[in-house]
This record gives sequence, structure tokens and C-alpha cells, in this order.
Amino acid sequence: MVYVVALLALAVGLAVPAPRLMARRTTFRRAPRAALVVWQCVSLAAVLAALAVGPALLPRTAGVTLGHGLIAVGALAVAVSAGMLARLMYAGHRVGARLRSVRRRHRQLVDLLGMPVGTAPLAVGPGARRPRQGSVRVLEHPTPTAYCLPGLRQRVVLTQGTLEELPPDELAAVLAHERAHLRARHDLILEFFTVLHTAVPAFARSEQALAEVRLLVEVLADRAAVRVGGVLPVGRALVALARGSHPDAALAAGGGTAVTRLELLDEVVRPHVVLSAFMYAFAAAVLAAPILLLVAALG
Amino acid sequence: MPNSSAPRLGDLERAVMEHLWTRAEAGSQPVTVREVHESVGAERALAYTTVMTVLDRLHKKGLVSQQRDGRAYRYAPAATREQLTAQTMRDTLGTLDPPDRRAAMLHFLDDATSEEIDDLRAALAALEARQAPGRGD
Repeated sequence: MVYVVALLALAVGLAVPAPRLMARRTTFRRAPRAALVVWQCVSLAAVLAALAVGPALLPRTAGVTLGHGLIAVGALAVAVSAGMLARLMYAGHRVGARLRSVRRRHRQLVDLLGMPVGTAPLAVGPGARRPRQGSVRVLEHPTPTAYCLPGLRQRVVLTQGTLEELPPDELAAVLAHERAHLRARHDLILEFFTVLHTAVPAFARSEQALAEVRLLVEVLADRAAVRVGGVLPVGRALVALARGSHPDAALAAGGGTAVTRLELLDEVVRPHVVLSAFMYAFAAAVLAAPILLLVAALG
Repeated sequence: MPNSSAPRLGDLERAVMEHLWTRAEAGSQPVTVREVHESVGAERALAYTTVMTVLDRLHKKGLVSQQRDGRAYRYAPAATREQLTAQTMRDTLGTLDPPDRRAAMLHFLDDATSEEIDDLRAALAALEARQAPGRGD
């Protein structure tokens, strides 16, 4: 019974206070790769712990002639676990299908309207020719913006305004940033957290947590861009493109992240080995906890 | 060229749309499959039915309007190139539900506000100052 209580406490602890605490840990941003691993392990461990409560109760309630009441409790717990799993899978399906359809529709428009460019600044740079990293399309629009469409047929989309606004080194930085997203499949990380966000009950849902994961993904892509062309082009591109972003977006996100990203740009130079090692160890321990507890409960 | 049909179909849709837009801008009536085939299809040695398929696909995607004219259909672009570009931009900049948009496409910068510009400039100036002496990396 101790294990069942421990699993329950672990599930609640990792699902509710942990993301809120982690979202406030700004030191995490100095080691974004490790931080994302921690985030994923904590979320996954919360899900595993919650799902394990039902099965962990079973040996205490079934088999023994302890009366119908306990058997009912065990059955109920298993049903709750199964329900949670179903809810999670349904959210995964819904979110995945929606994202793919938004991307497909958008890619069709971009392919139809965008100029597939091989003009000078776009065709140069490492990986520019490799098709896996997304071909570049330019929309004829004055608002400067840049984004990528992940998936099987990846695209990097720029506007005419971006091409006019940014000098070649900043353009290269933007492309390196977007290609880093595509190469590292950051969309899958975002999809994972969007699914969890949709599936968990409202009291466990945290906007700050989702915003922090998004920020970490951006910091990681910024670092890739810095490695290509240095700190300043990325910083200048952030300022230049800030004018093109959506006016309401910051409200939904609880404040813009551009300043934070700018301040983190020269962190790339100083690797935080100890911090990262500690975070990886923590991630592994957190993920192991619900598994060990379940094994102990069943054994 | 490898014989991958998917990008080729995309290219064709593009060429057909370009043609329809040019015709519409010139003030022309909706055009028949035959006319599209003659101008877009002939130079690429396409079958008539291929052009028909492309127009049908574009219609299903809502990009082209179709109207019956006797036994044939006539086609016109559902929106001008500018309108469609504006719609595409609205999608990326905010019409879509924010969680969907933010996970569906990854922007270089998604959430800056105009009030932030001054802070950003100051942060950039500080960064430039830090980078200036020695450039020790």
C-alpha cells in the first residue's frame, strides 16, 4: 500500500507543482538541451506514475479473500488508469491530426504562392542544398516574418519583407535557426507537450510550463544559429523581425520572450557541464521512480 | 530528374494557377479545360486528362471555382494571388487557434509586441557591447 500511495504522490507532485517550479527555474535556460530532457522525463514520469496506480493496487485487492469492497476498489483503480490512457491516446490522435491538416493546407498555399528561391544569400550556407532540411519559399508580402513547416515535406518560409529587411548574415542566421528546428524535429517535442496539455485535467494544466518549453526550443535553435554565424547576426535578426510578429501573440503567451532570448545568446560560449550533468541525472532518476515503484508494488 | 510525381503535380498546380491568375487579371471569362490545356499543357506535352485532374484537385482544395457551361466546366481562380497571400500570412500571424499555430509552424519570432521593441533594442545594445571588446570566443 505504501507503494500505491507513493505512486499517487509522485503523479500529483510531478504533474502539478513540478512544472510550475521548473518554469520558474531560469538557470534551466542556460542548458536548454538538458532542460528539455528534464521536462520530457518529468512529464512522462507523471503520466507513468498516474497510469501505474491502478495496476499497483491489484495485488493488494485481488486474489486475497478480503471481501468485495477491496476488489471493487482495485477494479475502479484499473478502470481509472485505463480511462486516463484512453484520454491521452485520444488527445494524441486529435492534436496530431489537427496539426497535420493545418500544416498540409498551409504547405499547399505556400507551394502555390511562394517563390522557390535559389537567390544568392539563400542558396549559400551549410546544408542549404540538402533537401531534408526544407526548401525555402518566399511569400510576396511586405511584413517581415520567417517560419518553418515541419513534417515529411518540410518548408522554410520567408517573406519578401524579410529578404528586403535583413542583410545576408542575419538571413543566414534566421535560416540556420529554422533548419535547426527541422533537423532536430522540435515539432515533435512541442506536439508531445501540446498533447499532454490537452489531455490533463484543468487543475494540472500550466500555461507557463508550455511557454517555457517553447522558449527552450527557441533557445536551442538560436544556439544552432549562433554556431553558424556568431551572436550578433542572431540578435540583430531578432530585433528586425520583432516588428513583424503578431500583435496579440504576447498576450496569450504571458509576455514576449524575445528579450530573454537576446540575453541568452552569448551563453552559448560557456558550456554548463556540471549543470547539464546534474540535470541529466535528475531526469533519469525521475523517470526511473515510477517504474521502480510499480515493480516493487507488484513484487 | 527522378520520376517523383508529387513535386511534379505541385509544379503543375502552380503553373495552372499562374495561368488562371494571368487570365483573370486580363479580365477574361472563366476558362475551359481545353484552353488551359492548350496554353499550359501543350508546352509540357501533357495529356488533356492530366490538366483536367489538376483543375479538379485545385477545385477540391477550394482554390479554383468551377461553373458549368453546357457540357463542360469553366474555371476561375477563387481568389487573387494577393488575397491568397494575405490569407496565408493571416494564418501564420494569428487567425489560427494559437496552440495549433504555434505547434504547426515554428516561427523565428512569434510573440514580440511593439512595446517590446525598445527593450529589445536595449538588450541588443548590451549584447553588442559585451561582444565588442576582444570578441573572445
